Amino acid sequence: MSAEPGTAPPLPAAPNLAAPAEGAIGWIASTDHKRTAAKIGVASLVFFIASGVLALAMRTELAQPGLQFISDQTYNEFFSMHGSGMIFLFLTPAALALGLYFVPLQIGAAEIALPRLALFGFWTYLCGGLTMYAGFFTDNGAGSDGWTAAAPLSNSAFTPGIGMDMWVIGAGLAVLGSLLIGVTILLTLFRLRAPGMTMLRLPVFSWSMVVTAFMVVGSFPVLVVTMGLLLYERHVGSVFSGSNGAIAFQHLFWFYGHPVVYVMFFPFVGAVAEVVATFSRRRFFGYKALVLSLLVFTALSMAVWAHHMFTTGGVQNQYFSLTSHLLAVPAGIEYLDLIATMIGGAILLRTPMLFALGFILQFLIGGLTGIVVASPPIDYHVHDTFFVVGHFHYTLFAGSLFGLLAGVHYWFPKATGAMLREGLGKLSFWLLVIGANVTFFPMFFLGFDGMQRRVPDYAPRLGDLNLLSSIGAGVIALGILVFLVNVVVSLRRRQPAGDDPWQGQTLEWATSSPPPRHNFQGPLPPIESHAPLFDRRLAEEPA
Amino acid sequence: MGTTRQDFEGLFSIYIWIGSGVAVLVFAAVAFALIRYRAREGRRPSRRSDSHLLEGLVAVLILAVVALLVTRTFTTEAAEDESRTTPVRIDVTAFRWGWRFTYPGEGVSVIGNSAANPTFAVPADRAVSFSLRTLDVIHSFWIPEERFKRDAIPGRVNRFDIDFEGSGSEEGLCAEFCGLEHSKMGFEVFVLSPASYQRWLAAHRGGAA
Amino acid sequence: MKSGAAFAAFWGVLLLILGIGLTIWSGGLGTGLLLAQGGFGALGLALLQAGRPPQPRARLLPRFSLPTVVLALGLAAAALGLTAGLWLILIGAEVALFALVWLAREIVAERRLLR
Repeated sequence: MSAEPGTAPPLPAAPNLAAPAEGAIGWIASTDHKRTAAKIGVASLVFFIASGVLALAMRTELAQPGLQFISDQTYNEFFSMHGSGMIFLFLTPAALALGLYFVPLQIGAAEIALPRLALFGFWTYLCGGLTMYAGFFTDNGAGSDGWTAAAPLSNSAFTPGIGMDMWVIGAGLAVLGSLLIGVTILLTLFRLRAPGMTMLRLPVFSWSMVVTAFMVVGSFPVLVVTMGLLLYERHVGSVFSGSNGAIAFQHLFWFYGHPVVYVMFFPFVGAVAEVVATFSRRRFFGYKALVLSLLVFTALSMAVWAHHMFTTGGVQNQYFSLTSHLLAVPAGIEYLDLIATMIGGAILLRTPMLFALGFILQFLIGGLTGIVVASPPIDYHVHDTFFVVGHFHYTLFAGSLFGLLAGVHYWFPKATGAMLREGLGKLSFWLLVIGANVTFFPMFFLGFDGMQRRVPDYAPRLGDLNLLSSIGAGVIALGILVFLVNVVVSLRRRQPAGDDPWQGQTLEWATSSPPPRHNFQGPLPPIESHAPLFDRRLAEEPA
Repeated sequence: MGTTRQDFEGLFSIYIWIGSGVAVLVFAAVAFALIRYRAREGRRPSRRSDSHLLEGLVAVLILAVVALLVTRTFTTEAAEDESRTTPVRIDVTAFRWGWRFTYPGEGVSVIGNSAANPTFAVPADRAVSFSLRTLDVIHSFWIPEERFKRDAIPGRVNRFDIDFEGSGSEEGLCAEFCGLEHSKMGFEVFVLSPASYQRWLAAHRGGAA
Repeated sequence: MKSGAAFAAFWGVLLLILGIGLTIWSGGLGTGLLLAQGGFGALGLALLQAGRPPQPRARLLPRFSLPTVVLALGLAAAALGLTAGLWLILIGAEVALFALVWLAREIVAERRLLR
């Protein structure tokens, strides 16, 4: 029992510590990090579906020029809650939940540091999300100033009503909850690594969680404070008026608003790296270069935020253009490492690997168009148009969501003990690939051609591409449906997964599926690199 | 320095070419990996897991491309951000939900809103110097055909020049979400020959909206 | 663990450099400070760990912690009260206080059991 830090010493009359917390109280108040992470996952899935339905409604309205189904005011609430829901309530918590579940397993820990803080964080986030959505039931409707709540539009003169207040408070709570989850993950990585697991033997996914947590603790507090200031502005006195007020708000908001999109990226590129290595039957290529590029990439991503403000005329465009362009260097190294892992490997195209490949190729389009808009003179044309909408949906949907699905399909057997169906998995993959590209690629042309963001209506000449995009959205919905069916079917008619269905390389595959309450029973394999199971398998191979 | 639009197109095409090139390269590399290195009976994956030389080379290469792009961007931006006072000046005021265009010294002022979008004129032969303000929230003055927009920020005046290209009528839009009628807050620009421009001014003097 | 702090320090220094660079380039102290402080969170947490023993003492963890949940709900209610009205702030604060005491007792009981 030497390799189980954090476990309580056996007590004479202790209850069975290996049994999961049963019943309703277990679901509400369990301190098991796996249970907390599962709860975040379920909640974020519900918010994803709700926010996705809003998107389908918008795409239905946008399919034809003219206003057919939705009023201006409703549309404004829809796009605001779609973006807010997806970012604050779905993808950020889901990214952190992946880390909350799998970091302790990957580092050989029995528990996370501060399990009660994580539990508290979940409930705070959930209350925040419900508060935001409850705004739909108020007189003036839900929050309606985008997910960015730009001042002065977001003050009580221009956006009156309790619904917007609830948006502000809800956003603050949701981000606070996420912040606390990030804190526990970081402390876990600092404190609870198994003996022998130095920082430079952390698995790639765990390293991606280290730098994600750095960004979380560096930038999320600023958002919470900013929401507090905005609430003050709405009810007490002006904070963001005056000639620099609007600009100041944007600095504070985007200081969080840019790193958060990387919080919604790095855990997934980490998951994709694990998938690529496992399904190429190789160690991940260029580990040390990857660690360095993760650190540089995330540091830089804290320093680019004002590229959202190029057209304001109020920031030092050149500095932020330079830092934004520089992101290409560590990003390129990561792509090199991913591809170099595949080249020379023995690749198996199971569903997790398909989604990983989708992530790699589609995120690339998002990333390259990101470099395009890093140039202020180009941004002067395409900022606040559907070009940008296309750009960030390629990074967040065609990129990060595919990365999340890669991680989900990869780790679902570990968390549930059941395999997901390959056939349904492949079907959902192809539907999502077709749907994503048909929906979002036309947006580059729409934006370039004169369609601005956040509008329910547009010039008639833009009708055809909008219709195409809306059809794509329907295909996406189908793909998501197939995925959900896959999950339900796989849980009902279980195909047992066993401990290690994929011949994994990292410690989570050295325990049962699902893992027991304190993650490991019995000694861990020796830890001599970031891929302990791969090393062990190699050592056991006949020469 | 050409027109505003020409500055944009020159820069944009460099980015698109390089971006497309990178995309093709990465797609090709992935395709190569998938075709050549699929799992096969007896295939043993390579044991190699690092190459500092390769990493260093790629990093330097990307840095060089970044340097090229940043330099071109900086020179283009310097040219675009120059605001000279030329004989043609227009003050633009944005509000919820319309625009006012005033020609100081010419005695011309045009105003319109979401019910009736305003139209203003510019000459094709000279750069036009704009001053942009807002009466309430942030709006954004966007003329897609000129490939340019600038935000109207409360408490600030943003000054910029546009060197209009071609001739005819060009669409203008508000490109920063400003509330209920954000999508209806358009305007129109007539790019006219110098003679037509003078006639337009004369016709609009004396407060005709 | 110690090397965890080293990486956090490295990252923090990168942000410091980027922040100083921003101040110099733009002549503005505010945004530079905003950027430079970005590393403080990670560094702070790392330093918090630097003083502690490499492996934590054995501790007893309950299978579930209801007071934690109630505390979160109470504080969320109080936050919502900032717009709903003083009545909700008071209710939320009372619930939170109650939960805080309950939580403290839970933690104290654990410590006592271990001794």
